[in-house]
Amino acid sequence: MSASPDRASHESIVEIRTEAGPAMIPTIRAVAADLAGRADFDLDAISDLRMAVDETCATLVSIAAPGSTLTCRFTVVPDMIEVEAAVTMASGQGTDAVATDTFGWRVLQTLADNVGVLELPGTDSAATQVGIRLVKRAVTDQR
Amino acid sequence: MTESAPRSGHLSTHVSTPSPGRVIVHVSGEVDTLTAPELDAALDRQLDGPATSLVLDLTGVGFLASSGLAVLIKAAHVAEERGVALSLVTANRAVVRPLEVTKTAGMFTIHDSLVTAEAALDRDGTGSSEH
Repeated sequence: MSASPDRASHESIVEIRTEAGPAMIPTIRAVAADLAGRADFDLDAISDLRMAVDETCATLVSIAAPGSTLTCRFTVVPDMIEVEAAVTMASGQGTDAVATDTFGWRVLQTLADNVGVLELPGTDSAATQVGIRLVKRAVTDQR
Repeated sequence: MTESAPRSGHLSTHVSTPSPGRVIVHVSGEVDTLTAPELDAALDRQLDGPATSLVLDLTGVGFLASSGLAVLIKAAHVAEERGVALSLVTANRAVVRPLEVTKTAGMFTIHDSLVTAEAALDRDGTGSSEH
């Protein structure tokens, strides 16, 4: 593990695994908001994280293979939450499946302090995983 | 006159017509990928109708995703094209914050209550029955 001992001792990880469909997204974004509230995020930052996690999950679900799993991992460290979400892509999708020229992606970039597409090694050669990683800080920048 | 749209997911909309030409769409629940098409359809129906002013009451909306924001932005464009005065009613962070953070709030006339929204329309004479 690459995290420093100091960071590791102050981080907590929550991971949600569910069917890669839209039905559970309200639950996942509610978990995000709850974690942010408990981590003393300001109200705007809580709202932004909830919306960013929703957008992240909705984007991934739209390109996921039918019946595959959506994994969403929250790493809570002091003053920051990191979110890594991933799905197995539907066949025929390339690694550019996460469209970054959309309104939704622009909103995501505005909401998160940092956001990017993750290309992940699949569990087998036929199934490619794709993910989105974002970081949200507890204190909202004055925009 | 009040008519109800069918409920689905976590969104419900209903329409009231307080005076000729003025339509209020009351929305409650969460506007996300799942429910945004329903809101889009409800707004299209009203923008295709005879309304000269459309008030979108979002007081009961607890979450607005980018897909919901896109529906509102589209409605603002269509309303402008058709000369319909569109106003939003919300004082809720779940709606105000997405509008502010995406710098789209300026596209809308926003009131913090239905009373002030209607008073503003009465003052402007938009959609009032006194014409």
